Amino acid sequence: MKVVTGVVGNDIHVVANRLIDLSLQARGFEVFNLGVNTYLEEFFDAVIETGAEVLLISSINGEAEGWSREVQLLKSKYKKLDDVIMMIGGNLVVGSGNAEDIVPRYKGYGFDIVCHQVDLNTGLDSLEAMIKERNL
Amino acid sequence: MSLLQEEREIILNNEYVDNFDFAEVKEFVTNASKDLFISHHFKNKVKDKMLVQPRGGFPTYKKQFALNEFFVKANVDVLPLTIDSNTRLNDYATAKKMLRLSEENDVDMLNGYPLVNHGYRTTRKMITHFNKPVSLRHGTPDARLLIETAIASGIFEIEGGPITYLLPYSKNFPLDKAFLYWKYVERVCANYSELNEPINRESFGPLTATLVPPSITIVIQLLEMLLSLEEGVKSFSVSFAQQGSMNQDIVTGAVIKKLAKHYAAEINCSDATINLVYHQWMGAFPTNKDYAEQLINIATVIAKMVGADKIITKTREEASGIPTKEANAKTVANTQYTLGILNGLPTIVDEEEEEILTLEVKAIMEAVFNDPADTLWRKVFNSIKNGIIDVPFSPHIINHNNMITIRDAQKNIRIIKRGNVPIPDRCYKYERAQCDLTKDTTSIVNDIIHDIGIMQ
Repeated sequence: MKVVTGVVGNDIHVVANRLIDLSLQARGFEVFNLGVNTYLEEFFDAVIETGAEVLLISSINGEAEGWSREVQLLKSKYKKLDDVIMMIGGNLVVGSGNAEDIVPRYKGYGFDIVCHQVDLNTGLDSLEAMIKERNL
Repeated sequence: MSLLQEEREIILNNEYVDNFDFAEVKEFVTNASKDLFISHHFKNKVKDKMLVQPRGGFPTYKKQFALNEFFVKANVDVLPLTIDSNTRLNDYATAKKMLRLSEENDVDMLNGYPLVNHGYRTTRKMITHFNKPVSLRHGTPDARLLIETAIASGIFEIEGGPITYLLPYSKNFPLDKAFLYWKYVERVCANYSELNEPINRESFGPLTATLVPPSITIVIQLLEMLLSLEEGVKSFSVSFAQQGSMNQDIVTGAVIKKLAKHYAAEINCSDATINLVYHQWMGAFPTNKDYAEQLINIATVIAKMVGADKIITKTREEASGIPTKEANAKTVANTQYTLGILNGLPTIVDEEEEEILTLEVKAIMEAVFNDPADTLWRKVFNSIKNGIIDVPFSPHIINHNNMITIRDAQKNIRIIKRGNVPIPDRCYKYERAQCDLTKDTTSIVNDIIHDIGIMQ
């Protein structure tokens, strides 16, 4: 199973990104890690190029909030992205907020799995559950 | 006119520079007070007293001046001048705008001192007023204009280097360009060094401050030292940060001192002075400010065990952002107090660890020198590109990220996956033997998360 991952926007926080990469590999995924400081177009281009089934975007400084609003619009310009599992995780707001507000908001932006300040392994467990559910 | 001088005139003929007077700057450096040169203090230390230097930079002249007053009252040895992030990226227009906003509204709109915008005539007044050595702290890949302005201001210690200021801070600034821009810096420092006491260059050893093994730290320190010395720099500081194990720090200090001398002699630069700088813990700090002070204090003890020539301090407010001048000065006073009462320390030598680390460093250095390129900087560039040098947790696209490190039971950083780095088999076996590798990868990733945050 192929996954494209990276940190969205001008965010340069690299530690969690490396750990996501290692953890995905440990679970048997083939990982295409675009690293920090990655723009939405680059994510979608990489999904098309690699034929990935999962796109896992992360954010530490909370920039994701601004970028995510453009996900639906941008995604509609690409073909063949409808079946891709869209996942986002990390710290999803600038400042503080609570998950009850944040999760539905991000689902509205077009994400299937939303993990706001959730432990890495818990997040990846939910990804594997969805993959199983969809019989991928 | 030499090619270097032609390049200098182009660099200094910049709309943000107010008429750079080469002759006047030369005369100023020639006649500058010896007290402004950290190289002079390194050479004339009383009873081997370790120099204490904090970090700090504010946007306005007034606030920077006030910070320096606090530091001097706290008995500082070396003043810092930390540069703002716009200047680091050569965006002097934004720095100028943010400086004006900071001056007009009394709110800091920059995370450091925009030196190029203030200019050397203004900044020199502050530096000669305090008559203490000043260390330039930045993170700039293209620091040509910044360094010219710094030396003209009376700042005679320049931190940074093409590798240590790029791999931890940037995703895609071209590494080959950084090498050439820093070559200019080394030459300018070398030329000014002939006029008075030498300008000191310092490398930034902490790198990503995240589980970087000592072998990688030392190799990069030695290479930046060689790149600097071969351009004619006569005073250079290698550095590293507290790693988490006192024994590993002591071993690292011993090996880096021994090998710096060795490799400097190999290129006939034994006349250069090599100093050792120790950074208090550079990783994630505890939010509890009292615990933060304990961590800082332990770091000072280790620096003394390591035999550092200079220590760079943190503050009790590290976890919460840019520290106040009060908190910053408090660390300086506390560190001086601790150094004053640390007497009769034992000498610790761990021959086995020293041997392993020395073998690792020499093997990597040999692989770099064996690269077929014609100049040292090209050899180093190729070695980073092909993963002979691999820095854990670097965000830069050129870095391989194939080395994996973890802490053993004593909290020493160990290499459990070497990637393309030529760690000798015997050393690799030794490193891995210190760790419990029977666990599955998910548990090892959990251990790594824990190992990064050990001080929190």
